[in-house]
Amino acid sequence: MTDPLHHPLPRRRVVQALAGSAAGVALAGMPALVRANSPVRIGYTMARTGPWSVGAQVSQEPNYLLWAEQTNAAGGLDVKGTRRPVELLASDDQSNLETCVRTYEKLMGSDKVDLVLPPWGSNANFAVAPLANRYGYPFLAPTALSRRLVEMKLPYFFLLLQQPKPMMEALVDMLRSQGAKSLATIYVDDLFGLENYAALKVALQGSGIQLVEDKSYPLGVKDLAPVLRGIKDRNPDAFVGLTYPPDTILASRQSKEIGFNPKFFYASVGTAFQLYRNVMKEGAEGVLGMGSWNGKSSAAAKAYFDAHVKKFGAAKEPDRWASGHCWAGLEILSAAVAKVGLDRKAIRDFVAAGTHRTIVGDIRFQGSENVGVPGTVSQWQKGEFEVVWPKSRATAALAPAKPAW
Amino acid sequence: MTALAWFELIVSGLITGGVYALVGLGLNLQYGLMRILNIAHGEFLMLGAFLTWAAATGWGWSPLLMIPVSFVLLMALGVALHRLTFRRIARTSPDLDVFEARGLMVSFGLMFLVQNFAHATWGADLRGYDYLTEPVVLPGGAQFAGNKLLLLGLSLAIAALLIVVLRLTLWGKGVRALMQSPTGAQLVGMDTERLHPLMFGAGLGLSGVAGCLLSTAYTITPSMGEPYTVTALIVITLGGFGHMGGALFGGLALGVVEALGMHFTNPSLKSLLSYAVFIAALLCKPDGLFNRRP
Repeated sequence: MTDPLHHPLPRRRVVQALAGSAAGVALAGMPALVRANSPVRIGYTMARTGPWSVGAQVSQEPNYLLWAEQTNAAGGLDVKGTRRPVELLASDDQSNLETCVRTYEKLMGSDKVDLVLPPWGSNANFAVAPLANRYGYPFLAPTALSRRLVEMKLPYFFLLLQQPKPMMEALVDMLRSQGAKSLATIYVDDLFGLENYAALKVALQGSGIQLVEDKSYPLGVKDLAPVLRGIKDRNPDAFVGLTYPPDTILASRQSKEIGFNPKFFYASVGTAFQLYRNVMKEGAEGVLGMGSWNGKSSAAAKAYFDAHVKKFGAAKEPDRWASGHCWAGLEILSAAVAKVGLDRKAIRDFVAAGTHRTIVGDIRFQGSENVGVPGTVSQWQKGEFEVVWPKSRATAALAPAKPAW
Repeated sequence: MTALAWFELIVSGLITGGVYALVGLGLNLQYGLMRILNIAHGEFLMLGAFLTWAAATGWGWSPLLMIPVSFVLLMALGVALHRLTFRRIARTSPDLDVFEARGLMVSFGLMFLVQNFAHATWGADLRGYDYLTEPVVLPGGAQFAGNKLLLLGLSLAIAALLIVVLRLTLWGKGVRALMQSPTGAQLVGMDTERLHPLMFGAGLGLSGVAGCLLSTAYTITPSMGEPYTVTALIVITLGGFGHMGGALFGGLALGVVEALGMHFTNPSLKSLLSYAVFIAALLCKPDGLFNRRP
């Protein structure tokens, strides 16, 4: 009887064994290999049609596209040391809340994408944020402005923009420092307008500035002249429009038409858009609005600005407010994935805990709120939307009185 | 409130009302004459606005030049659309009610098609250009932007011209006859095969002109048309279906009511005011302010 232990293996058996073990090794190694080459699937919906699309296509989606392109050009998204290509799964929500919610439900519930990016606007974020929280997806919202979103205390939800309270406090602080005594306001009657109006009223208390007129208007308003004429008769030192882009331009144009020239003219979303300068031309000079950065803010901000213009052309500059915050959110997300991989709980913890260096400055979160970036006021000066308040973040000195339109 | 303030307020209402009237007149031609409730009417206004914007910013054309160009282009488009869609429906529908229902569905489809065409071509961005924005001070001190005064003047002139053409020319009388009694008009030899597409085209042309004028004073987006369709429906209900003078009056009255309402209450109540006028008209004069019951 031959000793099986010492019997030399027939050549055929050896070849079979080697082939088998090689296949085994290959199979065992495959998941890692597949993972390394498989894309990181990132889903979102964006308003490409309908009333939200104006803001969404200036402040948000161009940044998602630029980020994905830059990331892939650099070899892919750094997932804990492994570079993987980014694949964006995007669709048009048609500015429809229901479509928006249903699509995110599909992306997170059945498609099980690796990550999601938020939709545009306070209303859409208000609807989708609780859902993202339920599915455990970190949600860094670049274009949501609402105290109520903060109060919902959703652990996976982070607001990148400065909220109504700091923004209105910065505005009132600036007006008070310039000796303004009276103020009139109009506000869009949705979540954004109502919350900012409430914050403005609180900020005005004890400031010595009297609120002489306040009127709301509906989304999609076509004519504000009758209201502006009433405000002109009251001759306030400051006009504050808590407005969306079309209304920002409407209020500015109609103020010019009727010769309403307050010392301080402030409008909200859209003042930071390149379109505002294009439409208002010299009339834009001295107009104040919601803005927090520009190409002068830092070298990184300049690099981002230039890359954006290079990709989308000189006619589509990033806006000087939410675009920067959107990019900052993508910077934070990239850093989180590089550090902790695609474990969404770990990403959430990373975002919640640290201070993040971004193009709009250091961002840190208290609950859902970005408390790292203070409230700011910007002003159009010689073709650039300069940050003028607070002085610590200013890119230019405040021009204290707006010239006539 | 001073007399000057009243004057400014009423004129600003008339400026808005002039555009309402122009859009309403276009829709009235289509619904009054052919029973085509064109829900896509505002989308053609948007096309007129974008064409003007593209010509003004791309080639430096004057928006004034674009008024006849928009009219002709959109009229041609209207004739083609009528031939492709509504003429076929008219031939295959057993009665007027079925035609009206099918026409409504087709115009819904057109609405999405035109809106998405604009999105695909020009994107969703807000667009605008600067044209006669300098304030003009009238004798007495009232102040308006030059483009708004132009808008009011031209919309009134075009609306008046249309009404005069319909009243005084043989062709216009034929159209009015068709509105009053389609069967009777055909019996006396009116050529509906030619008049229907032309009138549908003229309706779209008017919408294009309204868009052209609007683009001089307001920012434009591919989704700007829908509210104007709703307003046009209110205007023609107010003035009476098929009644052109009524549509002009209805448009101007609605503009003034909205301006006064917004000044004395709140712009947020604008829709409430418009619909209150609409409901009051339906309750008190269901056939419109100017149509007499047969």
